[in-house]
Amino acid sequence: MKTALKNLNMLLVAAVVTIGWGRALAGDVKIIANSSVQADAISANDLKRIYLRETSSLKDGTHVEPVLEKSGSAHEAFLKEFLDMSDEALQTYYRTLVFTGRGSMPKAFGSDAEVVAYVARTKGAIGYVSTATGAEGVKLVPVLSDRHEARRAVITRVAPEYPETLKRLHIGGTVRLAITISPKGNVEQVVLLGGNPILAEAAITAVKQWVYASGHSRTTTEVSVPFDADR
Amino acid sequence: MDRRALSFFLLSLTMTPVRPRAQDFKLWGRDVQLHGFASQGYVHSDENNWLTMRTQGAGSGKFTDFGANASMQMTDKFRIGAQVYDRNLGNLGEWHPSLDWAVADYRFKPWFGIRGGKVKTAIGLYNDTQDLDFLHPFALLPQSIYPTDLRDSTIAHTGGDVYGNVPLRKRLGMLSYTGYAGHREDSHYGGYPYLLKGPPALINFSSYGGLQYGCDVRWTTPLKGLLAGVSRMNEDIDGYGTTTAFGPLTPYHEWSKADWTNQYYGQYIHDKLQIDSEYRRYWRDQEIYSGALGVQTNVRGWYIAGAYRVAKRLQLGSYYSRYWLYVPPEFGPGSEQSGHIYEKVITGRVDLNRFMNIKVEGHFMDGYGIPGYYPDGFYNVDNPQGLKRNTNALVVKTSFNF
Repeated sequence: MKTALKNLNMLLVAAVVTIGWGRALAGDVKIIANSSVQADAISANDLKRIYLRETSSLKDGTHVEPVLEKSGSAHEAFLKEFLDMSDEALQTYYRTLVFTGRGSMPKAFGSDAEVVAYVARTKGAIGYVSTATGAEGVKLVPVLSDRHEARRAVITRVAPEYPETLKRLHIGGTVRLAITISPKGNVEQVVLLGGNPILAEAAITAVKQWVYASGHSRTTTEVSVPFDADR
Repeated sequence: MDRRALSFFLLSLTMTPVRPRAQDFKLWGRDVQLHGFASQGYVHSDENNWLTMRTQGAGSGKFTDFGANASMQMTDKFRIGAQVYDRNLGNLGEWHPSLDWAVADYRFKPWFGIRGGKVKTAIGLYNDTQDLDFLHPFALLPQSIYPTDLRDSTIAHTGGDVYGNVPLRKRLGMLSYTGYAGHREDSHYGGYPYLLKGPPALINFSSYGGLQYGCDVRWTTPLKGLLAGVSRMNEDIDGYGTTTAFGPLTPYHEWSKADWTNQYYGQYIHDKLQIDSEYRRYWRDQEIYSGALGVQTNVRGWYIAGAYRVAKRLQLGSYYSRYWLYVPPEFGPGSEQSGHIYEKVITGRVDLNRFMNIKVEGHFMDGYGIPGYYPDGFYNVDNPQGLKRNTNALVVKTSFNF
């Protein structure tokens, strides 16, 4: 049994894929998208390029259209965490595009509710709202930072409990999760990105107990947790 | 200040509480956006008349411009749009509207797109936005690099661009490039025709323009907020018209044998601080009076500018700018100060709201270039009393956009 657990642990160590680290203040703002947007997650760098009109499609080819809020706490948090610029600087940037013929102004709305409503009905729309806002009719898109950012080592890793029934029935697979790690290293938030859904609960329960090295800010990253019934 | 300018200026001020909105509507199922802007300035100077305005005495309000554009997203990658622009700057512009840009733009990939039509020319940090007062901390950009009386010579070309953004590996930032080629066509109401219309040249241009091609490459460095770039433009220009310089009306033709501009620039932005610096070298070797005389124009300029937003609605800034125009020996020796303009500027910009601002700016200039030789803001015809070495000017300007 010890050997099996050790093997499983080694497998987890090998399979946990760190896509990157970011500074997402998951407690302040969340990224939402129309259901037509296929991506389960987006990198912080790609998100910035979309909002700066440097690209209008994701890596999978999905066309996306950024949506802004005119003001408010979610807007301020989004600018600070993802675009790293002031509202004045962003407006100047967009006006440079508009008045030189190099681009158009993104749609902007006055409230979270308006953003959610627009994103829900507009193909390819991507926006942001405060975390407390309901997101009916839209999908949440975790923001992962980029590969080159400094990695935070896992200090405590807890293996998931493989549900006995599923294991006996040889039901396995890999669960993909986006996790947000606090500056102290605790896993604050876990979002299911994909994989076998019936194994998700066990994976989430385990990952929530992981402890990372402390960092300067919150980071969001993607991990994959495999369940192999033959081991 | 003339009555029309004064009226517009006062109207602009009374519009402070108004929040103009961009129009956004659907046409044939596609999104259409309408935007516009206007600005009105006032300039008062102590010694010399400046920028073709009568800035001495009571000052001048003949410092107005406005523009409006419409654009439509045809598909995810294809966009069209156009903008009209009109300005009146002293004796320049004279309320003759022009097509500022009109483009069809297809972006195949983030790293490759093409646009064609009449396209704003990418040179340095601000060539394509030099008319857009509301984008800048300063009412007048450094005239050593962006002479407003010569905007026609660089502002746009009718032709095409290729452009794109290329992320660099190993955290080296991103390269943005623009390559262009097309035809430049100057307005009859710009600084160069204005200069040559007066004595001793007495030239009336019927057309002035020619081939213009070049590229701009800018590097967003890995150091946060730091941008560096370089621009190069080559031109092959012909000017046709008539002259009475030799008595009877005779045809006039001038053409360039060599005509190029190099520009190097850097920008650093950190939080509320912005620092810009640019250097430009302009060289022209041309034949004038239908080949009777060869002349060279050799201009160098640079500036360093800083602006800091001290409050949400208040930005303070300053720049130091140096401009030199070198005279070939055959033109004759100039006085010591006649070939340069050294300028110190301080400014304060108040943003009344998102759409409107007012700027108050002081310009302290040493020198006036060589007014009879090449346009540099000071013209003999506007200063019949003779030019004095130092000029101090107060510039007040307001603008709004939607």
